[in-house]
Amino acid sequence: MRDEEVEKGLASNPRILLLGGAIIISLILLLLPAIFPDLGFGGLKYGLDLDGGSWLQLRPEGAMAQIDADVGTIITQEYSSFLNTTVTVTGTTDTSVSFEVETLVTAKQIESLGYGQAAVSGGRGGVSAVTLQVDKNHVISRYLENSYKTEVVLSEDRDGLWHEIRKQTSAEELEDILDDVGGSVILYRDGVSQATLAKTKEILEDKLNLFGLSDVKPIIVERKFILIDLAGIDIETAMDLAATPGKFEIRIQTQGNESIHAVYGEDIQTVGIHEANNGVWGVPFTLTQQGADLLREAAIETNAVNDPLNHEVIMYLDDGIIFSAPLNDRLADNLKIMPVQDMSASFGTDTGSKESAKQLESHLKVGALPVNVEVIGSGQVPASLGAQFKELTAIAGLLAIIMVSFMIYLRYRKKEIMLPMIITSISEVVMILGFASAVKWQLDLPAIAGIIAVIGTGIDHLVIITDEVLYEGKLPPTKVYLARISRAFGIIFAAAATTIIAMIWLFWLGFGALKGFALTTIIGVLIGVLIARPAYARIIKEVLKEEQE
Amino acid sequence: MVLLMKKINIEQYIESYLKKVSTAQMIIIPLVLLLISLIILGWSFISTGSPVELGVEFTGGTIVTVESPLSFEEVKQQFTSRFSDTPPISARDYGGGRVMLQFAPMDEAAQMELNKYLTSNYGKEVSLQQMSAQYGHDLQISAIKAVIYAFLGMAVLVFIIFRSVVPSGAVVLSAFSDIVIAATLMNLFGIALSLGTVAALLMLIGYSIDSDILLTTRLLKRRGNLEDKIKGAMKTGLTMTTTTLAAIFILFLVSTCAQYVSSFSRIDIISDISAVLLLGLATDLMNTWMLNTGILKWYLGREVPIGKRKRGRKK
Repeated sequence: MRDEEVEKGLASNPRILLLGGAIIISLILLLLPAIFPDLGFGGLKYGLDLDGGSWLQLRPEGAMAQIDADVGTIITQEYSSFLNTTVTVTGTTDTSVSFEVETLVTAKQIESLGYGQAAVSGGRGGVSAVTLQVDKNHVISRYLENSYKTEVVLSEDRDGLWHEIRKQTSAEELEDILDDVGGSVILYRDGVSQATLAKTKEILEDKLNLFGLSDVKPIIVERKFILIDLAGIDIETAMDLAATPGKFEIRIQTQGNESIHAVYGEDIQTVGIHEANNGVWGVPFTLTQQGADLLREAAIETNAVNDPLNHEVIMYLDDGIIFSAPLNDRLADNLKIMPVQDMSASFGTDTGSKESAKQLESHLKVGALPVNVEVIGSGQVPASLGAQFKELTAIAGLLAIIMVSFMIYLRYRKKEIMLPMIITSISEVVMILGFASAVKWQLDLPAIAGIIAVIGTGIDHLVIITDEVLYEGKLPPTKVYLARISRAFGIIFAAAATTIIAMIWLFWLGFGALKGFALTTIIGVLIGVLIARPAYARIIKEVLKEEQE
Repeated sequence: MVLLMKKINIEQYIESYLKKVSTAQMIIIPLVLLLISLIILGWSFISTGSPVELGVEFTGGTIVTVESPLSFEEVKQQFTSRFSDTPPISARDYGGGRVMLQFAPMDEAAQMELNKYLTSNYGKEVSLQQMSAQYGHDLQISAIKAVIYAFLGMAVLVFIIFRSVVPSGAVVLSAFSDIVIAATLMNLFGIALSLGTVAALLMLIGYSIDSDILLTTRLLKRRGNLEDKIKGAMKTGLTMTTTTLAAIFILFLVSTCAQYVSSFSRIDIISDISAVLLLGLATDLMNTWMLNTGILKWYLGREVPIGKRKRGRKK
């Protein structure tokens, strides 16, 4: 009769119901996917260090800077060295610069540096008066592009307008470049903009898809790196796939070794399969609308449309020339009239040309990252070692539970106390794993270390509860029991809060491999103090009551 | 029977400890050790540029583990002659027929060449970990930030919880001493600072605070004889720490020694974490039950003459 009442008291207690419910849900989340793998929800996922594979951490190379410089000085400097004559600025407004050049120039010549639209007048005494429509930020970007010989784009965020230099540089190097035109760096920051970072990630993902790795999802970490986990792929292949694609660019020769920029890899829309057309090997590809416009502009600017043989189209990958050939006559004629999107890069008729075409095809397909990436971290864990780690951590976990049970028994001498304690502790592990399964966490070694940490503090807290309740060696009257429990939970909540505070920075700083550890610890502590430990306090009361009667 | 004897012994031991060791000794001994530790760390900082030895994650470089029937010296020789520009800087036996090699940071081309060589000569059974020197340096700064922020966050919270300068200060000092002495022991035992050991130091903040908060709450908020309250807190606290120590010891044993009993290899990250926790928890026993207890004993005892509180009175 009494037993029944006890059972009923326990079973209807909200804390116990919460714990029971959480355990059942966790078990369902853990076991169902294992039994029915096709359901497609939940299921524990192991990290690379337990399942084997390789990982790469990539840093896009580049820098962002806020810059102040005088438009007039830049224009004077740039045009005097380009035209090899004296340039005198006669007036500047917000949107234009007027200057005189001691030689005869055409508007086209002035525009070829890319600073803006030009109007040229005069010619008296060999002096031309030029008015250039400019935009200050565009002028600075263009100046940096010419100095760095790389793409510089404007990007805006809540800190203002930035010039994004898509190349490895340093604040000193940038200052040196700006010193020449009396400009200065207001703010400098290593790394590329969030938009460029996301774009780089997207292209990498496309590329991995191309190689049949559709389940590989690169992720952005610490707002500046790209992390790629490649399960079951060795490190050599991983590096070849993800780290080697460089920056692709099409330029058109002006004279000798000089060339101007036409199109970057991101404007290549589709790439066909290398093929022989009338015996000539080539790779068909299409440009985006914007790319076609850019190529046409460059072809006109360099006069390649009229004199293709002296103005070859050059394709660069990572500053290395991978293709160089004149425009064919028909294309040159077409470009005079309108932009052309459909292109083909042709080689020769021999087998060497076939190989070159094949290589160019793969370069075109993947070499489209807006910036270079540097491998700043990489690793590989063989699947066999991962399996060993799983086995060993399982053994260690079991032995640790046995050891803790023994220590608890040694102290309290009652299996009525030891069993609820151990079961509560195991239930915490089940709930953490259930949560991990629900949110599709990757369980890796640092996360397991986090679980260990939670279990360690968990047992500590159960001991605190037990000792408070058992202060006089037996269960106190209900009023005293409640006071004691609330004091015990005062200690426990304080301790849990400090642990969470200690871990939150680790999570906030997004600290590489330890993010999983921090998150596991925080979630584990929350599950422990909010679900498992309150239920234990109730259970231990019933257990002691039963025993005393 | 024997076990029963032991149980009685624990209480007797606590009692005789509290009788024999004076409050001054309780405070001074840990403080002297803290001072010595700070000197060792400072000296190490001056001579090597870092208070603790830094692992490959923080210095940059490459660590490779391969399966080989050869001895580690022979494997090292093999790699040295093949990669004369970027030779391994150290090699050791890793257990289970594995050899571990460490290389200084190298550029991407050299790394790719090494990877190629590893894949073609050792197949898929290669573990590899590589960090660039620059990223290692960035990680170092993040790690220092994480530990400092965690510590400050904990300190602020402790002051909010107890709203009293001396008891809160004692808790914070004891946690600080735990970390400093644990770092010194890492230095002496040659355990490098890795991502795993940074995690362990942070866990240590959590663990060490548990017993300190227990002690402070029991002494400040519970009525009764001071000596009895200390005894009670100590009994609970020792159970907590020894239980945790026992579990961590098992982890350390399995992750470190598996290589000697079978073809298993050691799990570095778990082995490092458990080693640091063992050292740190042992340190925490001293800091909680000598330093923190001593300061509280002095603080609560001292208040009696002012006549504001009677509950702290002893004898």
